[in-house]
Amino acid sequence: MSADQIFSWKNRWFAGSVGITAGLLVASALGGFIVLPYLYPNFEFRGAWDAICSAAGIARASSSANAIQPDYKISTVSLTSDMFMRPSPEAIGRGATLAQQCAICHGPTGISRADSPNLSGQYAAVIYKQLVDFKTGARVNAVMTPFAAPLSDQDMRDIAVYYAYLPRLPAYHPEQSAQPPNVVIYGAPMRGIAPCGSCHGTLDNKAGSPWLEGQAAAYIKAQLGAFASGARRNDSGGLMRNIARRMTPEEIDQAARYYSSRPSFMTTQ
Amino acid sequence: MISSRRLIIAHFWLAFAVFGLALLLGAWQMLVRSPLHNWLSDPEWYYRSLTAHGTVMAYALPTLVAMGFGYAITESTLDQPLVGKRWAWAGFGLIVVGAVMALIPVALGRASVLYTFYPPLIGSPFYYIGVVLVVVGSWIWVALMSVNLGVWKKRHPHAPIPLAMFANVAGSYLWAWTSLGAALELLFQIIPVALGWKSTLDAGLARILFSWTLHAIVYFWLIPTYIAYYTIVPRAIGGRVYSDTMARISFVLFLVVAMPIGIHHTFMDPQVGAGFKFIHSIFTAAVAVPTLLTVFTICASVEVAGRLRGGRGVFGWIGALPWKNPIMLAVAFSFVMLGFGGAGGLINMSYQLDTTVHNTQWITGHFHLIFGGAIVIMYFAIAYDLWPHLTGRNFSNDRLMRAQLWLWFIGMMVTTFPWHWVGILGMPRRMAFYDFSDPAISPQGIYVTVSAIGALILLASGLLFLFILATGQRAAPMEAGAYTFARAVHEPAAVPAPLNGYALWVTLMIALTITNYGFPIVRLASGYGTNVPAVYVGR
Amino acid sequence: MSDQSRPSGVHQLAHDLIERVERRWASLSIAVIVLLALLAAFAGIHRATMPQSIVETIEPRIIHMQGEFVETNLGSAVEADGSVTVRAVGQEYSFNPSCIVVPTDTPITFRATSPDVIHGFMIEGTNINTMLVPGYVSVLPARFDKPGERLMPCHEFCGVGHEGMWARVRVIDKQEFQKLAAQQPRVTCDQQ
Repeated sequence: MSADQIFSWKNRWFAGSVGITAGLLVASALGGFIVLPYLYPNFEFRGAWDAICSAAGIARASSSANAIQPDYKISTVSLTSDMFMRPSPEAIGRGATLAQQCAICHGPTGISRADSPNLSGQYAAVIYKQLVDFKTGARVNAVMTPFAAPLSDQDMRDIAVYYAYLPRLPAYHPEQSAQPPNVVIYGAPMRGIAPCGSCHGTLDNKAGSPWLEGQAAAYIKAQLGAFASGARRNDSGGLMRNIARRMTPEEIDQAARYYSSRPSFMTTQ
Repeated sequence: MISSRRLIIAHFWLAFAVFGLALLLGAWQMLVRSPLHNWLSDPEWYYRSLTAHGTVMAYALPTLVAMGFGYAITESTLDQPLVGKRWAWAGFGLIVVGAVMALIPVALGRASVLYTFYPPLIGSPFYYIGVVLVVVGSWIWVALMSVNLGVWKKRHPHAPIPLAMFANVAGSYLWAWTSLGAALELLFQIIPVALGWKSTLDAGLARILFSWTLHAIVYFWLIPTYIAYYTIVPRAIGGRVYSDTMARISFVLFLVVAMPIGIHHTFMDPQVGAGFKFIHSIFTAAVAVPTLLTVFTICASVEVAGRLRGGRGVFGWIGALPWKNPIMLAVAFSFVMLGFGGAGGLINMSYQLDTTVHNTQWITGHFHLIFGGAIVIMYFAIAYDLWPHLTGRNFSNDRLMRAQLWLWFIGMMVTTFPWHWVGILGMPRRMAFYDFSDPAISPQGIYVTVSAIGALILLASGLLFLFILATGQRAAPMEAGAYTFARAVHEPAAVPAPLNGYALWVTLMIALTITNYGFPIVRLASGYGTNVPAVYVGR
Repeated sequence: MSDQSRPSGVHQLAHDLIERVERRWASLSIAVIVLLALLAAFAGIHRATMPQSIVETIEPRIIHMQGEFVETNLGSAVEADGSVTVRAVGQEYSFNPSCIVVPTDTPITFRATSPDVIHGFMIEGTNINTMLVPGYVSVLPARFDKPGERLMPCHEFCGVGHEGMWARVRVIDKQEFQKLAAQQPRVTCDQQ
């Protein structure tokens, strides 16, 4: 039997298989596109054609009618993991110049002698986001807010890549630390807390999460406290607020002391 | 006569060597997330292991087995030396290069994205390029199957294609078409982003393209097993294939219906219309038919063997079967696991039941039972059956083979049955550890522990399998003669043309893919503006 | 069709028998499958849940800044017709709200999305189960009969912290819920 004879309605096999296939297709399409949409308990279509289009997967943009918008300033930074991947030397240079004003508190080499955070070698996305949030008012700090106010977006990017470019030096205020606390290594899954390192660099880095090794324990504790009380709200999506609220005060203390005693080269790049 | 012995043995050894490694990782994974082990202080190790385990078991093992078995079938059924042997070695080489290229970044923790690699999670580009190379290597095999069949057909026009070869080539066409989905996803979405040429992609489209591959790939995995059911088992146990026609019908049904049903893997996804989910659901019901046909035909074929051996009565022939024959044991175990695994599949195919089990451990238990159980146990049987012919050695340690198969069967049942149950209890998939001290989760602990013990049994069985193959390679030389396949009760002198060729079925397969996948893919690809930024993982 | 495949005599009878037996089995198999499919359709229409009826898209990069999934709009909201809409976001590596409150005996609609990668959304012990795909909004209707607390894990691999992504759903009495809803427009149990 030649090819023509197979592809002919006179051939039983051809007729049967094409007939059954087409039949199944038509029946299931009728069912899926016409019958079932009408049987939905909340029939929300604007007529038959709309029902068919929706069943086919033609999308509607989601609407935000009646959404309760925040009455406080919310962080407007959108971070992706490939931002700041290849900074130019010019940007780093400009950042170095701008960062001279930061040195008063954050140290000339980015290592702070006060309880303000060490910035040296921090992820650029982190520094950028915090600067933008200070400027827009999503994060408020009596000292940082006036510093951030005059900076342009490009300035903030430049400062960020400059600090990221600096080496990660050992902690300035090391403390003796014993066992890593459970909440840091394992998180607390039933309380919705992933291991800290999943975002904060030891295991992986989520864009915008700082690495914490060598930061002042007082600073870490203060920030976790601020998240827990809601005083600090620039964690997009309430992530850190939910975590900090669910940590016990002992756990916050342990985490702060643990991280402040760790050398900073243990994190991902 | 099989003349390309080294080629085929290379495929099998590579397949089973990586299988052994992946099995070790799998057992480790079961242990560390069970109550028997402390929580991993670095959960990334778990996801790294999971990526390697899944990549090897899904992309390397079954592909290499299908290819090696396919070359063996080609040479023995068509009675001609393999045409294009250099190309075959090139294909094998590509697979080796691809596998190494993929698994190095995984081992280094730069591609812990799991074998389903759902973007926007993006790992090292070398992982994805490696997978692509493996697939391209297998496409060379696909081409060679066609070429060899073509050469034979020119010499024997109008003769029926031997059943084993018919099914083998059908499987190769199915694989070629189904691998396109993941290939499109990798080549046009993931690799450009992994290389940094683009920074966004549509995650919904990626899942749909992957679903194109994800279901039919299991039928690609299954075809060597079904070929063994129809053409090795009856011969090995002294029976005949009950119906050659029905066998061919089953295989062409797979060719047509295995493909256009992948959206049942995305029943719970928000980016696909409900109408298409329903269509795929109906066609998924249709793909149960060839398995039901096969189960009947094989049982009948086995009964033929039982009665030829003097079995009497409605069930008495079962006792008369050659239970000392490892192949008999393998097919019996395979059918038991196929029954349970298939029933689980029927549950998954119903949207409403699937809502209760989607992405719970039920799903993982299901595919380990059906693939790791029913299908892989026949891979063992195929290896045992072929080994004397490939090695030219006296390979006859039946007791050890039976013990290995028993261990695999028991291990698989012990591992997967509690696994299904914890899925029903709600345990989610793919987590590095679970808090079994929480009262809501603690009832699950005992079942996870039992599964972990089952995993150790499987590991023992897998290592025993490798040991048997290795000793078989060193046994006393003995020529095993020609490699033959089962004959039908009625050997057809001629076969209806549609069951002796593929044009009709491939046309239907492509047509159904267009009707069932065309609109969703085109709609998603033409963009809703829902491209999302990549999230790069890894150190 | 060629006649060469038809053997003669006893073989002919056997051949016909085999064909008949196989045909009968094939019909039986198909009948069983059709029955299963009809059962599924019936159950879906009358008793159980159906797939999302509309595909909705959303720009994921800005959902935390504005629009329906901004943080102050998340949680359980009472609609004009008395039904409740629960809005949630799943992100690496937690849900917001991480403690959801829902009333009994009320039609509920879950609306959720993801700003980053693919997550799972499943309430244990129920058939509320969907994927959160960035760029799309997942919508699911639900109804709870009895009060209690359920776990809500993420069930799709979303990165190295996936094992920490568990939320809770508290089902409370309808009256109790209405009291809470009177005090705050978006109810959650996050503060507890």
